Amino acid sequence: MKQRLLPFVALAAALLAPSLTRASDPETPTAPAAPASDKPQPWYRPRHLVLQTAGGLGMVSAGAGYTYLNGKVDTDILLGYVPKKLAGSTLTLASAKLLYSPFTIRISEKWQVKPVSVGAYFSYTHGTLNDEERGQYTRDYYWWSSDTRYGPLAGGRVTYVRPPKTNGRPRNLSVYYDLSTNDLYLHSYLTNTKGLSIGQILVLGLGVKADF
Amino acid sequence: MFQALRFRPKLSLLSLATAFALSGCDLLEFSPNDYRAPEDERHLTEKNLARLQQNPLPAGDTLRFVFTGDSQRYYDDADDLVASVNQQPGISFMVVAGDISDFGFAKEMRWVNEKLRKLKVPYVTVIGNHDSVGNGREAYQEIFGPLNYSFIYGDTKFILVDTNGREYNFDGHIPSMPWVNQQLSNLQGARRQVVISHVPPQDEDFDPAVRAPYTQALREAKNLVFEMNGHRHSSSIGQPYGDGVWYVNSDAFSERRYMVVTVWGDKQFRVKQIKF
Repeated sequence: MKQRLLPFVALAAALLAPSLTRASDPETPTAPAAPASDKPQPWYRPRHLVLQTAGGLGMVSAGAGYTYLNGKVDTDILLGYVPKKLAGSTLTLASAKLLYSPFTIRISEKWQVKPVSVGAYFSYTHGTLNDEERGQYTRDYYWWSSDTRYGPLAGGRVTYVRPPKTNGRPRNLSVYYDLSTNDLYLHSYLTNTKGLSIGQILVLGLGVKADF
Repeated sequence: MFQALRFRPKLSLLSLATAFALSGCDLLEFSPNDYRAPEDERHLTEKNLARLQQNPLPAGDTLRFVFTGDSQRYYDDADDLVASVNQQPGISFMVVAGDISDFGFAKEMRWVNEKLRKLKVPYVTVIGNHDSVGNGREAYQEIFGPLNYSFIYGDTKFILVDTNGREYNFDGHIPSMPWVNQQLSNLQGARRQVVISHVPPQDEDFDPAVRAPYTQALREAKNLVFEMNGHRHSSSIGQPYGDGVWYVNSDAFSERRYMVVTVWGDKQFRVKQIKF
């Protein structure tokens, strides 16, 4: 059990360490913001960095994301990794998550909670062992793909509001969880509502988001 | 009041993390191919065989076991099958002739085990083509055990072999004939032998290059009671090659029928079909 939590602790530490050191950088509060950096950021510049464990997207996955519609919608692109000894082969997962969080509760100046997020994910796994060589199977021998997964997500997020940079960019730090399932687990449940329970098909993901 | 509110997020985070650490390990899945499982849900073949040997069958006694196959994604039916098999008197164990999972995921194999561990008798499995998809072969070895193995119970030697040739893209090595020949040539003190695999040799998913040597080895094997398969989701007992070798095919869990097989003498057997 300890072993399984290690990756999360490690990734949290890895993400927190640089931001904590940056927080102690000398900052002169009276210094005016440099006008040059007040320019609107280009549309393609990600708004946050993401580090996640589990959720079916890797032992560790990292990436970047965009936020729009007044902070209510997030799109995250992640690259994940699963070592061979946990899955039979080294897996690389490319994933996309779309999350809609309708409510933000401001608990205090420093803390905000997004209690409900719903959305979906899509992932592609590279490195699977037996995933159809040319001519191996007749057409539609297996109706599903062993590499492409998608499914619904639901979760929540707690944000620590840090003072913005001198140029006005946010430096908020969030931790989140999401519960998801994938198309094949869901299919298994929907065809066996007596024999399986919802709890058996749920997958938990935990992660950190850093605005920058 | 304000202080308490400010403190709560940290507190709830802490308790949330503790809750996950204590109970949520299984939820933290890295990939559907992630085959980590608690110790009591791994290497089940070895454990089930150890359980079987705790109830030895005296030499000369008639052997009775349940034969079924293809549990894949039929969890609703699995509950009923277990309830029915638990009513059968005098059975020593149950065999599932492959396709334990549908998509080759360890989690599915564990879901099936969750059902079958409620049997009063131990069960053994052989790998099926659905258990070989993706990283399924690795998951099967982690959850159940070897792809080719044999054991002796009472007077009977059981040889379980991977015949899912298509999953190896018909590379000419499945089933492994050196291993099969070695197993068939030595009864290791048993009186008779039984071969169990998933894909039957007369099926198009069996490697055509290995079909002749495999069926010939069975023909020449000493006191072979029968060769047993799953895969076809349809029960049958016959001699497709007209060579004196009996081939017994099981129904899938979804057909809601299994076989009670009785074996005695050199190679005598009787099969009773049970509906559930």
